[in-house]
Amino acid sequence: MSSDAHNHQKAGADHGFEPKIIVFCCNWCSYAGADLAGVSRLQMPPHFRVIRVMCSARVDPEFVLRAFERGADGILVAGCHPADCHYIGGNYRTRRRIALLKMLIQQFGYDTDRLQLEWISAGEGEKFQKTMTEFTNTINELGPSPIRGGE
Amino acid sequence: MATTDKVGAVMVVGGGISGLQSALDLADSGYKVYLVEKNASIGGTMAQLDKTFPTNDCAMCIMAPKLVAAGRHHNIQLITNADIAIVDGQAGNFTVTVRQRAFRVDPTKCTGCGSCAQKCPIEAVDEYNEGTKIRKAIYVAYPQAVPLIYSIDPEKCIGCGICAEECKAKAVDYDQKEKVLEIKVGSIIVSPGFDEFNARLKPEYGYGVYPNVVTSIEFERMLSATGPYFGTVLRPSDGDIPEKIAFIQCVGSRDEHCGNEYCSSVCCMYSIKEAIIAKEHGGNIKPSIFFMDMRAFGKEFDEYYNRAKNEHGIRFVRSRAAAVVENPKTKNMMIKYVENGEPKEEEFGLVVLAVGLTPPADAENLSRVMKFRLNDDGFCQTGAFSPVETSRPGIFVSGAFSSPKDIPMTVAEASGAAAKAGTEITTSRNTLVTKKVYPKEIDVAGKEPRVGVFICHCGINIGGVVNVPEVMEYAKTLPNVVYAEQNLYTCSADAQEKIKEKVKEHDLNRVVVASCTPRTHEPLFQNTIREAGLNAYLFEMANIRDQCSWIHMHEPKAATKKAKALVRMALAKSRLLEPLENLMIDVNQDALVIGGGVSGMVSALELAKQGIKVHLVEREKELGGNLRKLHYLPSGDDPDEYLKKVDQEIRANKNITLHLGTTVKTIDGYVGNFKTQLTDGSEMEHGVVVVAVGGREYKPEGEYLYGKNANVMTLLEFKGKMKKGEVKGDSYVFIQCVGSREDKFPNCSRVCCTGTMTAANKIKDKDPNAKVYVLYRDIRTYGFREKYYKEAAQKGVTFIRFDDEKKPVVEDKGGKIEVRLIDEDTGKEVVLRPDCLVLASGTRPEEGSEELAPMLKVPLTKEGFFLEAHMKLRPIDFATEGVYLAGIAHSPKFVDESIAQALGAVARAMTILSKTTLEAEGIVASVDEQYCDGCGICVPTCEYKALEIIDNKDIKDKKIVDVNVGLCKGCGACVGACPAGALTQKGFRDEQILAMIDAALEEPKKQEVKQ
Amino acid sequence: MTEKHHTAHHQTHAHEKKHEGEWEPKIIGFLCNWCSYAGADLCGVSRYQYPTNIRPVRVMCSTRISPHLVLDIFKAGADGILLGGCHIGDCHYISGNYYTEKRVNLMKKLLKESGIAPERLRLEWVSASEGEKFSKVVTEFTETVKALGPNKVKKDERLMSRVAAADMASETFRLKALVGKELNLVGKGNVYDNKLDPEEIEKIITEATSDEFERSLILELSRTKARSVKELGEIMEVPTDKVLRHIVLLRQNSLIAMEHPEGFTPTYKTIEIGGEQ
Repeated sequence: MSSDAHNHQKAGADHGFEPKIIVFCCNWCSYAGADLAGVSRLQMPPHFRVIRVMCSARVDPEFVLRAFERGADGILVAGCHPADCHYIGGNYRTRRRIALLKMLIQQFGYDTDRLQLEWISAGEGEKFQKTMTEFTNTINELGPSPIRGGE
Repeated sequence: MATTDKVGAVMVVGGGISGLQSALDLADSGYKVYLVEKNASIGGTMAQLDKTFPTNDCAMCIMAPKLVAAGRHHNIQLITNADIAIVDGQAGNFTVTVRQRAFRVDPTKCTGCGSCAQKCPIEAVDEYNEGTKIRKAIYVAYPQAVPLIYSIDPEKCIGCGICAEECKAKAVDYDQKEKVLEIKVGSIIVSPGFDEFNARLKPEYGYGVYPNVVTSIEFERMLSATGPYFGTVLRPSDGDIPEKIAFIQCVGSRDEHCGNEYCSSVCCMYSIKEAIIAKEHGGNIKPSIFFMDMRAFGKEFDEYYNRAKNEHGIRFVRSRAAAVVENPKTKNMMIKYVENGEPKEEEFGLVVLAVGLTPPADAENLSRVMKFRLNDDGFCQTGAFSPVETSRPGIFVSGAFSSPKDIPMTVAEASGAAAKAGTEITTSRNTLVTKKVYPKEIDVAGKEPRVGVFICHCGINIGGVVNVPEVMEYAKTLPNVVYAEQNLYTCSADAQEKIKEKVKEHDLNRVVVASCTPRTHEPLFQNTIREAGLNAYLFEMANIRDQCSWIHMHEPKAATKKAKALVRMALAKSRLLEPLENLMIDVNQDALVIGGGVSGMVSALELAKQGIKVHLVEREKELGGNLRKLHYLPSGDDPDEYLKKVDQEIRANKNITLHLGTTVKTIDGYVGNFKTQLTDGSEMEHGVVVVAVGGREYKPEGEYLYGKNANVMTLLEFKGKMKKGEVKGDSYVFIQCVGSREDKFPNCSRVCCTGTMTAANKIKDKDPNAKVYVLYRDIRTYGFREKYYKEAAQKGVTFIRFDDEKKPVVEDKGGKIEVRLIDEDTGKEVVLRPDCLVLASGTRPEEGSEELAPMLKVPLTKEGFFLEAHMKLRPIDFATEGVYLAGIAHSPKFVDESIAQALGAVARAMTILSKTTLEAEGIVASVDEQYCDGCGICVPTCEYKALEIIDNKDIKDKKIVDVNVGLCKGCGACVGACPAGALTQKGFRDEQILAMIDAALEEPKKQEVKQ
Repeated sequence: MTEKHHTAHHQTHAHEKKHEGEWEPKIIGFLCNWCSYAGADLCGVSRYQYPTNIRPVRVMCSTRISPHLVLDIFKAGADGILLGGCHIGDCHYISGNYYTEKRVNLMKKLLKESGIAPERLRLEWVSASEGEKFSKVVTEFTETVKALGPNKVKKDERLMSRVAAADMASETFRLKALVGKELNLVGKGNVYDNKLDPEEIEKIITEATSDEFERSLILELSRTKARSVKELGEIMEVPTDKVLRHIVLLRQNSLIAMEHPEGFTPTYKTIEIGGEQ
């Protein structure tokens, strides 16, 4: 597959499955990176919904669990690169938290790939595009979440 | 002069990172600022950079918040696309005539949507991308530009009229003329930055002839994710990834043939950075750096250099490349060079020329118009003790315009220049700034949410993809929505009036705007609803442009569905919004300066001149610190005389209370409200702290016979003896890097090379026949200090380079010193028997730093220097607000650099001390006492030390966390960590985010929309 | 590169010459209702003779003929296209034929870029009274086309891709805008009330045409197969540094994407703009 085009029209076309994806973006880097993707008119699949938080460390485990409970097929947490965190070191904590959450969702029968952490800087519009396309493809391959009758 | 004579405004000329910092500091401390920039948008060179050394931070990520802050600061007026024409008057009262070239776009109407540029048929070279990309004849320099206003390139525009046809906001104005503005200001700061050396002037490197020879700034754009190749390094000739990349250093620097004898100070580091990033982008790339001396002299730069060598596998070749020739078939480049005396040739896929920094093209014109002097190299002239002052009183300078320098030093100087500019007009502080008055807030407590939704077409940017009317109709069906409308541009001035009108008409108590990004537009709409009497936090935004219509342009149905979901999510949050109050913190306007060396003295004196009561604390019985031991400066200026002068001024200033022979016992409190006890028993309250505790010269621990032979001494000891005339003998050896750049202390001490030149030149001045040898690893006489190195060489000082691993061996041969070493350049052994051996000994942190740091809740580096909030853009600040850093306490530095930083600390401190109250962030953490059991898990998650476990005053023997709103920055990290759910983040409460999650995942009923 | 140049080096050139007598060119004639079509009628009434190869198509005005239409017809294999319109100043629709002239200029540039001899397209002003001129023009043009030989677009993949690229380029907003505005910019003046130098605008359009053609060709060639810059440069006979500059712009506009580079040579593939399912 190509790296920056990602034939994205394929995503979501299979079996009428429309993945539900929640993306948490930190205000300073990833949300800005997502904006830059827009300014650069980089195209990507439309199935994700962004929720802005001030810092990726704000993403409470409860948010992730609630989203899965309500039928999310995939959750992506995007924060500043480790050294760039606007709040100095917030994202180091995020990394540890996501690792723990992955273990937890596995016990609930979820594939760990359904939860992902990415570092996306304010200058990485293309990385946002790539991440969203690849993540959507991953979720497409995994199909609906267990709660929606998948896996 | 009477108070009224001084104008409480400052003009900053040049809107790069330097001018930006000066403007923000001044505007935050009670002065009106006019920021004049010659280009159409501010940002300067830093905005072009991909990453910054030595942290590899993304340049735009750390700079953009400052750009936005300057763009919307109500006391900063941006005057872009403008030149200075005339400067009349004198310090305190200048009249400046500014010519603003026509944008041919009305800045009050342009929304920055970019439709015009998409359709403009004329292509031009994109300067922001150094010609590696194409822009249109109507353009904005880069996507994050401030102000985000398009302008027409008069050279390129053919006047076809398409942009005006495309612009739904009717902002294009072909008849717009040049504007001439007359502005009254009290002080002026010049910070026009630098130009890159024109590499065509070094024809032997083939720049402009061979496509695969690029300059470092072009390469910077090539590395950037927003650059031409989206971050993959490609050869301009054929798009291949170059396997081998060569960096050639000192192109246009340290080179008398091209007229630039000075060192450009930053090229070694940026080349290392570019090499590392290139390698990170493509693992197979093998970078080599051809250099003469590796000048990694700044804070933690040597560690960066070591990592480049040892971890990243960057190859360093100590040689000045002689010529570059293209292999016409492969387009590969042959580099000819001499290494260890042998001529060599090597083939590379791409050559990057590390071009030096030259004075900006308009330097001469600026100096003529503004009447200040330039130095011999064409940069702005400054003095050893007046690093931010031009030759004309009232006009100050900062950044690379006074000498080539890196970003942290530039930012420190920019604050320093702001301090000086402020002192000049301190009596007129707060006379020209405005404070906005809003109507009394409507009480919404307990009221059912009544939400108004405004959906923006953004011309065709949203409306061309998303079915806006459908989204509007959908919004009307959602609970609590009492009003919904669509606008061509919701951000336009008339739409703001409309929003206010509708708030009144429909008694709205929440407003949702679905348009672009809150990052740029939230403050505008918040301001609008405040004007309508609503609390600013009763506002929520849905980003249906940048994150919807623009990224799903070919899927209008899916994009419309998504836009509805985003509106539904924003609405879900808006129902749960509550008014937030920005808490006010009282500010004590006194200052505490710790350390009475040159930095502490300068900080204290400048604060006192701005009317601040200062407590100056010095451990020794007298002021001066290391300045007492210098005696000589390479420039010939007399540090002893300067010390005497400043000492007298301090003693004469009634705002300064001196605490000599004293140290700090305890410090408590937070910004605006510190309480301190000193060892002299005195106690004081103050609003800020300046840490200027300095450092000390390393005393060698037995190396090179130090302490065993009386003729072996450190550099400062030698200078002391020289001053007293106690130096005897006719042969001298200096050994560099003693106690620096070693395992235990890996970084460079910055000042020793130049200090050695000063001493060596002094010896030669006295006795031209004296034999002087300098044994070194790299000579690091950066900037204009290079000329002292050259002077020493011309006077006959012999320089012998030794390898890092093969240090000289010093033995005592019957009282006589014998030095043996291998000359790395010839490979031969050299034996020297000097009368005197001088050890250029490194700098160590001052004793007591380890005790002071925890009192201030600030960190230290592993070497023990104080660690600032951000190495690049906040060199004087700590993460803990209200505490500032200056001088050697930060890292080793020269007197002029210490002075600049000390002044900078004053400007930073004045952003607090100029106010009687501080507004805390609205979005802060708060604790629900019912649930908190004082476990303390949250405490280490706070980088700002805003959390503390205290006794629960209601329940005996129970602990509880206390949030200090003065320190909280509202990131929410603690909230995410709290296991009991006791902490909440205002504006991003759990219920609010959960409501958004639910709304996002809600399955909208099929017949929900009536059509 | 032009067609003549191309055929001169063609292996089968001699072979085709042998059968030249058997081949008859297919020529489409677009004739405007008010002048040329009437002129052709008069030609018939007056019994002037001309070769049988032309297939006339009546249109209301010569401006009806877009570059896209012309290129499409060449893509379908036509050997020549004749456009007949009213004399300048006599247009039934006042100024239609001024635009025709500008558009034909663009068509010729694009034909040249694509490798089809521009001479295969001819614009002539034939009034309702110029029956004899019509026969002369058709006879001459048929000779010209015969001399050029058959349009090999259907047999020559390379030529086909170039014509398709020229077609794509003709549809770009940029070229349409420049050609559409040209008349006014030169004649009436631009938004600054300056009349543009015809040579200057001609130069701008020539450069823009060449750029848009090359960009379209890159997209055309990379549609089915990911290609490297060097490969594209070789096929297109365009210097690789220029190809790379085009790719920079095409990537910027999300029209082409880099594939994961294997080794040191990245390849690019055209992004298909997918419709919604």
